[in-house]
Amino acid sequence: MAATEMILNATWEHIVLVYTTLLASILVAVPLAFASLYSQRLASVVMSFANLVQAVPSFAVIAIVVPFLGIGFVPALIAIMLRALLPIIRNTYIGLTNVDPAQIDYANGIGLSEWQIQRYIRFPNAYPAMFAGIKFSAILANSIAVLTAFIGSGGLGEIIFQGLIGYNTEKLLLGAIPAIVLALLIDLSFTLLEKKLTPGYIKQ
Amino acid sequence: MPTQRLFERIDSIELQQVSKKYGSRYAVESLDLTIEGGELLILIGPSGSGKTTTLRMINRMIGPDTGSIRINGQDVMQLDPVRLRRNMGYVIQNIGLFPHMTIGENVGLVPKLEGWDEKRTNARVRHLLDFVSLPPERFIKRYPRQLSGGQQQRVGLARALVMDPPLLLMDEPFGALDPILRTQLQEEFLEIKKEIGRTIVFITHDIEEAFRLGDRIAIMDNARLVQVGAPEDLIFDPVNELVADIVDTKRKFKHMDTLNVKDLMTPLDAKYILNGGVDACDAVEIMKDREIEIGIVFEKGMLAGKVEMVNLLKCEDDRPFLRDIAKPMKVFALRDSVATALSEMKRSGEYVAMVMDGDTVGGMLVSDEVLLKLI
Repeated sequence: MAATEMILNATWEHIVLVYTTLLASILVAVPLAFASLYSQRLASVVMSFANLVQAVPSFAVIAIVVPFLGIGFVPALIAIMLRALLPIIRNTYIGLTNVDPAQIDYANGIGLSEWQIQRYIRFPNAYPAMFAGIKFSAILANSIAVLTAFIGSGGLGEIIFQGLIGYNTEKLLLGAIPAIVLALLIDLSFTLLEKKLTPGYIKQ
Repeated sequence: MPTQRLFERIDSIELQQVSKKYGSRYAVESLDLTIEGGELLILIGPSGSGKTTTLRMINRMIGPDTGSIRINGQDVMQLDPVRLRRNMGYVIQNIGLFPHMTIGENVGLVPKLEGWDEKRTNARVRHLLDFVSLPPERFIKRYPRQLSGGQQQRVGLARALVMDPPLLLMDEPFGALDPILRTQLQEEFLEIKKEIGRTIVFITHDIEEAFRLGDRIAIMDNARLVQVGAPEDLIFDPVNELVADIVDTKRKFKHMDTLNVKDLMTPLDAKYILNGGVDACDAVEIMKDREIEIGIVFEKGMLAGKVEMVNLLKCEDDRPFLRDIAKPMKVFALRDSVATALSEMKRSGEYVAMVMDGDTVGGMLVSDEVLLKLI
């Protein structure tokens, strides 16, 4: 019974970590992408930083966080975020900038304000690309959250590491299998959500 | 947020010494042009001549470097652009329907932003779709890419009309359509134009479209206004080779010299005939019933002249007989040259003349109709 409880607790910790990170990433990435529309400088800084972080191995990103922020939930969250941010920022930015200029021009011509153009024209156009970015980030966050157990984030990674250290195959599988199932569930749920949320003009 | 109406109707749009430069090149140079309320003014000219820039300066999408643009005396640069544009309908060649919105949402977008409730927006959208011959129940929920080009252009027109703007700006609205569809939409647009009676500025590169739709035509070339006037002014008095080229004076009208009045006259419809013994007040009633603005007065089988509705309206004072107030009108013979007849009519500012075959009536010569038969 203790094992089940341990797994459930770890899974819950894992889920909380993944989704908190994902939410925080969206909250940071989307406004950054919008702001990048208005400043070419900001756009290039944000994009090159995001690209750079993407190139660094996940484990190195986690390691580099420790000297600055120590260990625990928040440093783990930041480490995952550094990696999860990029797909959302990049996809949102591309989605926002890929709107047919004639549409923006026309929206201006019929008297939409800048904000209304963002709200009614750019955002709905960017939305499918944004969602694809978020889905990718969720899967990425789930896999990195296994590694952050090393810096005290808790979650399924902790069980896996215990299993690895003690040559305990059973324990290792008790951690690894839920992590895999979780990844599949995230993929499945986002795919379903995507289908449900796909705007009509793409579906039909 | 509802924006307040800037103007209910257009009295005039005055462009004074308007210039716009891109780099060292003028897009529009020293443009003076007055657009009168209620008219459909065509802007035509080679590409890059400044037509679109001119149009886009009227709704402030482009700000002029120098000069002023005044609508009913208000300088557009002093007006809030969002508010200004919501007072104008705007139609462009590639239509610009938003692909992620249904037809209903596209047409209803600005009313929604103006804070109309859903019921009112829906009623307005349905009314307009009907107006442009798209049955609302079939089209309101569709997306733009499920519509043909012609249907999309109709939606574009409905969308431009949604706030009932007194001014329409149209940038080659039918330019991308195939010729047959274009002609059909022009016909429908003429009907719409009659019904709505707004001021319209319309860009085209098709001179036939210009003749068909325009009250006046402004020809632009190389950032400058070359000539502006009614179609016949441009045809008979082109200021230079370019205008003659654009209106195609030579090709279309070279055979004018060989044509007789007989070839281009219209038969005299009995509804235009009034008896000289009728008094003016009765004549007003008769003309109202027959829906005519001009009457040809005959006295004992002889042509006495013409009367116009506007001149008869003050009939109450002395109730004169038509035979006494009919104005003389130009009379041509069947074999007279059309070119001579038209230039005589133009000189005296008349648009209708009688054609007589000896003592009997041959028909009428109406200058606008002559043009339409020629082009």
